[in-house]
Amino acid sequence: MSSMTQNRLFREYKTLSENPPDGITAGPVSEDDMFHWEALIQGPEGTPYEGGVFAAELKFPKDYPLSPPTMKFVGGGVWHPNVYPNGTVCISILHPPGDDPNHYEHASERWSPIQSVEKILISVMSMLAEPNDESPANVEAAKMWRERRAEYEKKVREEVRKGLGL
Amino acid sequence: MPDEEPSLNIPSLLTLAVVSFFVIRWFFKRDGESGAPGSRSRPRGNVVDPAQVEQISQMFPQLSTRDIMWDLQRNGGNVAATTERILTGRGLDTPPPSFQPLVAIPPTGVPPQPAPVSKSDGQDLISRYNLAAKIVDTSEAESTAKPGGWSQNKEERQRLLQKRRDDMILAARRKMMQKEQGSAQ
Repeated sequence: MSSMTQNRLFREYKTLSENPPDGITAGPVSEDDMFHWEALIQGPEGTPYEGGVFAAELKFPKDYPLSPPTMKFVGGGVWHPNVYPNGTVCISILHPPGDDPNHYEHASERWSPIQSVEKILISVMSMLAEPNDESPANVEAAKMWRERRAEYEKKVREEVRKGLGL
Repeated sequence: MPDEEPSLNIPSLLTLAVVSFFVIRWFFKRDGESGAPGSRSRPRGNVVDPAQVEQISQMFPQLSTRDIMWDLQRNGGNVAATTERILTGRGLDTPPPSFQPLVAIPPTGVPPQPAPVSKSDGQDLISRYNLAAKIVDTSEAESTAKPGGWSQNKEERQRLLQKRRDDMILAARRKMMQKEQGSAQ
């Protein structure tokens, strides 16, 4: 049953372990369930997220890689225009090609089987650096980012410290 | 004997899912009726409640949330009907491209309603990964071992992954503390 999916996830796990991209750690919570991963992403430098480490869980559908996984920040979520208050990440690479509510995403940015966990995590890293204001998942955060940038950055920095237990 | 193990059979699982669904629904409905009036106004009309979408997409993670929203919007937010539809194998229709989901957003100015707190909400990474004990003794252990690694052994792999995770968090914490000390002086 879905052994192709499991093989693919296992291969991705291996690649990510042997050649981890900078600032990214990811793998299954337990190899007994390859459909449930956990990832750590470092906050990009030169942004208020700098210095922080953010944990997220990835849940893969049974027909991965045909359908994309879902990704959700855990441990209080992340204050960001493109992250729902419950932590769920909303970016184009996590949307299947037929799924374009706003008509601004290029098909190439969206999910397809040639994408990978690594590409998702790298995209999320750049999302942290450059919020997409057009389709906010967290309206309050988007508003603050637009109108009160200093307050936004202060709030993010505080959350970064809190996340590290400081 | 062929090697088909008598695994969980799908029909009984589905029945269980449907039955428990209705029980839960009944429970919440009863709750809503006896609860204080206007405690949490249910979204009406064409507005989709994100909680309902979340509820369904947790049951059926393979479905697109957009399809779920479309179905919910058309049946007036009836989670049971949408679930029925999925379980009976009819599947959900793909919404027209012009469909713009109207998601119910808690009114601004009012503190957000206490969302059902998940086990790890508001938890920092140190407690999440039980790193409190490791904070102390890593202050000088700045071993810059080559990151990454793979083993043929399952337990060893798990251990390597965990170590990389712990190191990443502890290193970030150390760096942050150093930075703060630096700026305080």
